[in-house]
Amino acid sequence: MEILQAENISKSFGEVHAVKNVDFIISKGKIYGLLGPNGAGKTTTIRMIMNIIVPDSGKITLFGQTMNDRLKSRIGYLPEERGIYPKMKLRDFLRFLGELHDMPSAIIDSKVSYWLKRFDLTDAEFFKVQELSKGNQQKVQLIGSFLHDPELVILDEPFSGLDPVNVNLVKEIILEFKKQDKAIILSTHMMDAAEKICDHVYMIDKGVKVLDGELDEIQQRYGHNAVQLEYKGNGDVVKDLPFVEKINDFGNYIEVQLKDGHSVNELLKAIVDRVEIFRVESRKSTLNEIFINLVTGGSNDA
Amino acid sequence: MRKIWSIIKREYKEAVFKKSFIIITLLMPVLMIALSVLPTLLMMIETKKQTTIHVMDQTEWLFEDFSNSLKDTLKNGIPKFVVSKVSFSENDFESVLAEEKSLIEQEKLAVLLVVPEDIDSVGVVQFYARNVGDFDLTSRIKDTFSKLVSNHRLRESGIQPELINKLIKPVKLKTIKVIKGRKEKEGGFLQEYFSTFIFIFIIYLTIILYATAIMRSIIQEKTSRIVETILSGANSFQFMAGKILGQGAVGFTQYIIWVVFGITLLFAGGSFLPVSSRYFSFNPIIFFYFVVFFILGYFLFSTIYAAIGAITNSEQEAQSLVTPVVLLLVIPLMLIGFIVKNPDSTVTTVFSLIPFFSPIVMFARINLANPPILEVLLSIVLLIITIIGLIWLVAKIFRVGILMYGKRPTLPELVKWIKYH
Repeated sequence: MEILQAENISKSFGEVHAVKNVDFIISKGKIYGLLGPNGAGKTTTIRMIMNIIVPDSGKITLFGQTMNDRLKSRIGYLPEERGIYPKMKLRDFLRFLGELHDMPSAIIDSKVSYWLKRFDLTDAEFFKVQELSKGNQQKVQLIGSFLHDPELVILDEPFSGLDPVNVNLVKEIILEFKKQDKAIILSTHMMDAAEKICDHVYMIDKGVKVLDGELDEIQQRYGHNAVQLEYKGNGDVVKDLPFVEKINDFGNYIEVQLKDGHSVNELLKAIVDRVEIFRVESRKSTLNEIFINLVTGGSNDA
Repeated sequence: MRKIWSIIKREYKEAVFKKSFIIITLLMPVLMIALSVLPTLLMMIETKKQTTIHVMDQTEWLFEDFSNSLKDTLKNGIPKFVVSKVSFSENDFESVLAEEKSLIEQEKLAVLLVVPEDIDSVGVVQFYARNVGDFDLTSRIKDTFSKLVSNHRLRESGIQPELINKLIKPVKLKTIKVIKGRKEKEGGFLQEYFSTFIFIFIIYLTIILYATAIMRSIIQEKTSRIVETILSGANSFQFMAGKILGQGAVGFTQYIIWVVFGITLLFAGGSFLPVSSRYFSFNPIIFFYFVVFFILGYFLFSTIYAAIGAITNSEQEAQSLVTPVVLLLVIPLMLIGFIVKNPDSTVTTVFSLIPFFSPIVMFARINLANPPILEVLLSIVLLIITIIGLIWLVAKIFRVGILMYGKRPTLPELVKWIKYH
């Protein structure tokens, strides 16, 4: 069920078109990757969803209503630019954020305790926020966006600055949210991280949406059908096969790109009697490669 | 509303427990005490000192009357002046004079007076001392000599000085202020000037103090990047309103502490505090208007300061924008002399209606004379309208500016921000 719909939204700052005619749909129980390089327009897009800035044109519908400030408390937002009140005590700071998101006073305290425990910060609850390490401050901000049990969670670069243990913890929580039927938007320029967790990808570049689809579908459609092959014998047999697009020779192994509609099985059948095979690995293109291909015009499909 | 309330609470707690707040709150009463007690204290120190005066009298007739005229006593009852005559002959006048002067140098003698023989015609007495700037002392001595010498001149001409003095006795003016609904009060330009100035100076100072605090905290929150986190829950208007009201509540708290302290001080010791009790009388109507104009002035200027905080990135950068705003507050302060003299002139009336000047000028008028209630109301209404308009305008600037880092916007850019929906 869709909870957020952006139709044709645009925003420009002076001469700069930050976002141009972007549309997308966010549904419950799915994790969305909002991907793109630095300065692509990701943060501007999110700020428009949050009603922090208003689009020049287009329409944003959230939970079936036109976006307005009352809906903010149903969203959990971690901004890319992290900010804290340095002099506040940790628990007070989180209480304050809870109040800002319309949480009833009665449940704030128990929620704060739950999340502090989950992030292993219980001992620090009466510390001033400025006394925490950068990584712990980051955790505090994550708590701030989870605290009020939002239906839509928007996390801008959630993993930056966290150690591997906490990266796993955050991933775990995000997957938990997915099970609870929440919608999650991850904005990041680190595509390999997105690749592992997202269901659906929106990729934008220079303010324009360049890619939109389910992750596996994208990989099938834009990814290249490649096989890494290690063998002994005369390699020319591979090069001469009719369904081979091209070969990259890496010395120890070769990477074979097959023409569309041909499978690894076909390749193996053709060569299995002629050379001695040590290793075969079918390889999908990474999102990163797909993205680079798309923006540099490497793909005809784009 | 609940969000604004949360922001107010947060602002208030943080500001009230700040060291600077506690220090200023405590320092002000100390300053108040010092201001009111200091003159008494100085007088008490002064009382302990006697002034030794030596007189070299060449007239033969003047000294006795002179020393009889200086019978002032100090607080503890001992004579203030110790006057003695220095004897000399015609031959050793110079050497005695030199000797006396060296006594002054050695700080054994305070004042040496040399009276010439023909004082009646010359009219000059020489006054030797290390300190010739003590206005009280020199005028006391000058007046004494003047009176004695003119009496002597009159008597020499065969006229009774007592008669003349009776005939030329000057008329004094006793000024009494009469305002409808207030107690009649003795006073003059100085008193009026002083009490008005104190009040409006407090308005001026605290408006700047609290408005600057708002600006500073907005700049700080921009720098610490907390703004966007706040905006994830509240909107920019709630954020701005919360900050202005929160800081206002902080100022009000401070005010109440000071006022309670001040009133206690006033009632606690009238005689103990000569300055304050002479110039101030506590008047509830004046106090009411004081609070009204302070609050309105505060909202007006803190809104402007909030806008400045929103469009700048550092306090140094903000400073150049603050200067013209401060000028708006300084202009009425400079006009105060004029206003005290002409509280009901057209110029004063116009100034007291212009929103940016009215908090100070209208309050000054109310303190000085009874301006027509219609004018007072008009000035308040104009202020409120201006404040509402300004908040509407600034909220728009705030909304865009608060997330802008880097270059300060130009005026055309600001106009564009205001036109954004």
